[in-house]
Amino acid sequence: MTTTTAPAPTTAAPGRGPLRGLPWVVWRRHRTFLRAALLLTLVGCALFVYQRIGVMDFLHGKGVPPGGDEKLMTEFQSRFGADFARDMEYLQYVPLVVGVFLGAPLIASEQEHGTLKLVTTQSVSRSRWLAATLGLPLAVAVGCSALLSAVFTWVWTPVHGLAVSGDWLTGGAFEATGPVPAARTLFLASCGIALGMLIKRVVTAMAATAFVGVATSVVWGERLRGHLAAVRSVTSPYDGDGPNLPFDAARFDDWVATADGKLYGFGTCVSPDSAADRVCRAKLGIVNRVIQYFDYDQMAGMQWRGAAVLVTLAVLVLAFVVWRTRRRPL
Amino acid sequence: MSDDPSPWAIEAVGLGKKYRRGWALRDCSFRLPAGRICALVGPNGAGKSTFLGTATRLVTPTTGTLRLFGVPVTDPAVMARTAFLAQDKPLYPRFTVAEMLRLGRELNPRWDQALAERVVRSGNVPLTARIGSLSGGQRTRVAFALAFGKRPDLLLLDEPMADLDPLARHELSGLMMAEAAEHGTTVVMSSHLVSEMEEMCDYLLLLAEGRLRMAGPTDALVPAHLLVTGVASGDDGVPEELRQRHTVVESRVTGRQFSALIRPGGPLSDSWEALVPGMEEVLLAYLRSPGAPDLIAGEARPDASGEVAA
Repeated sequence: MTTTTAPAPTTAAPGRGPLRGLPWVVWRRHRTFLRAALLLTLVGCALFVYQRIGVMDFLHGKGVPPGGDEKLMTEFQSRFGADFARDMEYLQYVPLVVGVFLGAPLIASEQEHGTLKLVTTQSVSRSRWLAATLGLPLAVAVGCSALLSAVFTWVWTPVHGLAVSGDWLTGGAFEATGPVPAARTLFLASCGIALGMLIKRVVTAMAATAFVGVATSVVWGERLRGHLAAVRSVTSPYDGDGPNLPFDAARFDDWVATADGKLYGFGTCVSPDSAADRVCRAKLGIVNRVIQYFDYDQMAGMQWRGAAVLVTLAVLVLAFVVWRTRRRPL
Repeated sequence: MSDDPSPWAIEAVGLGKKYRRGWALRDCSFRLPAGRICALVGPNGAGKSTFLGTATRLVTPTTGTLRLFGVPVTDPAVMARTAFLAQDKPLYPRFTVAEMLRLGRELNPRWDQALAERVVRSGNVPLTARIGSLSGGQRTRVAFALAFGKRPDLLLLDEPMADLDPLARHELSGLMMAEAAEHGTTVVMSSHLVSEMEEMCDYLLLLAEGRLRMAGPTDALVPAHLLVTGVASGDDGVPEELRQRHTVVESRVTGRQFSALIRPGGPLSDSWEALVPGMEEVLLAYLRSPGAPDLIAGEARPDASGEVAA
């Protein structure tokens, strides 16, 4: 998007760089953050590539496909466990950092410092100003997190059964790979923008965004993540060895069950007195253990469904921002 | 000036703005001919900034309509034709002066870089300095440069000179007058300092408590008043003759002496000593007397033309 700069160039040398008009203004305003974001993305990608070289060497050296081998798992954990834990943590914090430090001040600082009065009384309409103000920073932030996530997914996929002991659901891999980081970035940035617009104070808006970020990640982990696909279950006798899950399945929940399939919580009839426990189990008819889990082949579908939920929410929040800006001046 | 079909820079009809705490601007109707330098005066909280907000699309009016050069203010086309200097002179503190001017250039199709740089340079403001490191007066100068550089047909200034030293004030108002004269720019300048406006402005809008109390060309408004002094009489001090034949804006009794500011409705009898008041005296009289009838000059009425009418 460029302004209609009809008149001839003026006395001052035109600035370097490809950006013109509103995008230039928006870029200049958020230059520090956006440059840092691009730089950190490049550094992160380089680290991931380096990490992948080490990981592939390790796998080739072992010469076996990464199966449920305890010894291989332990060796992998001691060599790469800390790296993967750090990567996933880093990728999980990217959306929060974007929401708090880019989203929240995006409109709020213009309101707080009165510069909104400056930019919205130039010759460009408020909707074009809003489009550039929202579009450019969001595009950079979402693009960076999508790139980081893509490269990390490339590192993680060959060892998905080894990293974080193969627990891709709650171990962090679910939020750090595939479409999820970009969708979370878009969602939290939109929340930050909307909160900033409503609160009109940068620091308060940042705090509110951080709170919303933490709250939504709790809801995401506790309420949403386990419902993105039909859970699978395996039943085994109560006193047996327990079933063998596929090595890359993610264990979701444990139950005890009666012969006809009625589920009881894992802690049912568990007390220090084992004789009483037996009586208790006999009374309820508990004869089986049930493990609910997700197979690895369900992961991508779950991630895309989760990302779709986040993107839908983000679109609703952004639509609210646009609607409110059009309805009345900020 | 551009070839406008409308000779009126501003036409307001029934303009009003209600906030939660009440009306900031109420039933404001007037028009301002293009090419005038108009003073928008009134005490603090009179609605000056609210009015300028409606003209710059920062405030959506609750009632009424506002047209700039015949174009409704809701049409984005008016944005390129007006420039606004807000009271707090907002600028991006991390931009350099040159970048601030580049913002003006990037966002305005009619941008005049040479003019903007001249305004900045004449105040010895370095182009490479960051806005945050400038003094208040220097920031005001950069804000002026942005407003002038836009080459507006209508320049709206909210308390523009408040934080300038007398020298800069004189220089910038001189520059503004020269620019306005050269390009036929219409200027609306709000202030509560009447004295500073008197020599610059040829049109006057007086707002008090959200109402338009006076509107019209200064050479029609001020001479429509007389300061009269005489002997006090009557119960409430206002002599019968003044009350019936003239409009009394404000009156005062000091001992046996009676003095008043009136709008004469005809010849005055010889018992009165009459003086021509200054602009400041007239304005203050209206501000002190909320009950005095408003004075909207015929030329300033949106629906009529003619002489000064009460």
